[in-house]
Amino acid sequence: MTSRREFITHVSGAAAGAGLVLAQGEPAAAQQPPAAAAPGKSKLDEVRARGKVIVGVTSEAPPFGFVDDKGELVGFDIDVAKLIAKGIFGDEGKIELFKQGFAARWPNTQNGSIDFGIMVTTIYADRALQVAFTRPYIDSGIVVVVKRDSPVKTIADLNKADHTVAHLTAPVQEERGKRLYPSAKFLTFDAISAQFNAVKLGRATAAQLDAPVALYYLKDNPDMRILDEWLTDVTGNSIFLRPDDFKWWLFLDTVVAEMLGGSLYSPYKALYQKWFGKEPPRARA
Amino acid sequence: MDYLAQTFHLLRALFPRLVEGFGVTIGVGISAMALALAGSLLLLAPRMAKSRLIRMPVESYIELMRNTPLLLQIYLIYFGLPLLGFFPSEFLCGVVGIALQHTAFLVEILRGGIESISRRQWEAASAIGMRRLATFQYVILPQAFLRVMGPLGNQLIILVKDTSLVSAIGVMELTMVGKMAIERSAVSIEIFMAIAVFYLALTTLLGVVLRLIEQRTAARL
Repeated sequence: MTSRREFITHVSGAAAGAGLVLAQGEPAAAQQPPAAAAPGKSKLDEVRARGKVIVGVTSEAPPFGFVDDKGELVGFDIDVAKLIAKGIFGDEGKIELFKQGFAARWPNTQNGSIDFGIMVTTIYADRALQVAFTRPYIDSGIVVVVKRDSPVKTIADLNKADHTVAHLTAPVQEERGKRLYPSAKFLTFDAISAQFNAVKLGRATAAQLDAPVALYYLKDNPDMRILDEWLTDVTGNSIFLRPDDFKWWLFLDTVVAEMLGGSLYSPYKALYQKWFGKEPPRARA
Repeated sequence: MDYLAQTFHLLRALFPRLVEGFGVTIGVGISAMALALAGSLLLLAPRMAKSRLIRMPVESYIELMRNTPLLLQIYLIYFGLPLLGFFPSEFLCGVVGIALQHTAFLVEILRGGIESISRRQWEAASAIGMRRLATFQYVILPQAFLRVMGPLGNQLIILVKDTSLVSAIGVMELTMVGKMAIERSAVSIEIFMAIAVFYLALTTLLGVVLRLIEQRTAARL
C-alpha cells in the first residue's frame, strides 16, 4: 500500500530527478535523493543525535499541561515527558516543549514536527489507525460538569430540548451525546477552557470533560459540580507518535511500562501524588 | 495509486458536510458584509463632520475596533453578553463581531477615497454654481467610488477569510467542519487543502464581481 509519505517522496523524487536530468546528464547513481534512506531512520536515532527531544503538549488542560502563576508551562503530562527525556539523556532539561492545539496534534505527529505527543489523549481505535500509541500512562474517563445549582442530576436529565451541552471538537463526544441525550442542543469548541466557560457563563447546561481536568477546574470553581454518573468506563491516556517507527515506539512503550511498575515507578508515583494528591490506582508497586 | 484513491474516497465522503459548512460560511460572510457596509455608510458622515464633538465618538470607536484582535472581540461578545443577561446565538455573535470590526476599516477606506479627490474640484464646481450636495453626488462620489473599489475589495476579501474565526465560538462553518473531520480521521493536510479550495472559490468569485462593478462604473464616467 502506498502511504502519503511514500507518495510525496516519489513525486518530489521524480520531480527533482527530472530537474537534474534536464540540467545535466550526470550518472544516475549520484542522483539518488537522500529521502530514499529516510524511512529506515528512527526518531530515536534522530533525537539522540539532536541532543534534545521535541514533545507536543497542551497548555490548556490543567493539571496535565497549563501555564502556572509564574508563567511556566507545567503539569502531569509535562513532568512525564521530562521523565522520558531523563530516560534518554539522563537529563530532564534536554527537552523542547512544543505547544499545540488539539486538532494540530495529528498533523504535527505525522509530519515529524514533534517526536512524540503527550496531551490528555485518549486511545480510540480509529485514532490508532493514524498514529501509534504506547500503553496508557494514566487512567481517565469522561465526566459531565454542570453548575452547582443546576436541576440536572443524571445524564438522562440532559435529554431535553432546552438543554445545551458543550463538546470538544473530538467527534467521540458528539457521538456520545447523540447516543445519550439526543434531544439536547450541542455546542462545539476547540478549547477545553471555552467548553468549561460556556457552562460557567450560562451558554451551556453541561460539558463533557476528562475526569482529572474536571477535578482540577472544580478546585477553583466551587459554583460547579460533577455528575455522579460518568459518561464512560475508565479509558486510557496515552503517548502518541508516528505509526511507522517501531524502534521509537518500543523505547517509549518500555519507558511507560517501567513507570507503571518497574524501575521508574518511584518517580512516577511522586509525580502522580504531586498532581493528584493520591497514589496511582492501578500501578504495580 | 492507493494514496490518491484513499484521499479521494475520504474527501468524497466528507464533501456533503463541507458543503454544509460552506453554506454557513457564506451566510456569516454575506450577513457580516451587509452589516459592515451599512454601518460604514452610517458612520461616514459623522466621521467626516467638521464638529469635533460629533467626530470624536466615531473616531474612538474606529480606534478601539481597529486596534484589538477580532478573535478577542468575538470571545468578548459571545462570553461577555451572558453576564449582562443576553444570550444571542453563536451565529449572531460571530456576525456582529466581524461586522463591528470591519465597519471601522470600511469607514476609513471610504473617507480616504472621498478626501483623495482634489479640493479644487469642489472649488471648480462651486465656481460654476453647483451646490455642495450636487457636487458631492455628481462630481466627487463617482470618482471616489472608483478609487475605493480596490481597497474595498481587499477589505471584503479579508472579511470573508475572517469568518473562519467564528469557529472559536462553535459556529459550524467550513473551518469548524474541517477541524472536526481532522479530529475524526487524523488526516490533516488533505482536508486543510480541500477547505482552502472552498475559500479560494469564494474569494475569487467575490474578486470577479467587484472587478465587474469597477469596470461598469469606470465605463459610465
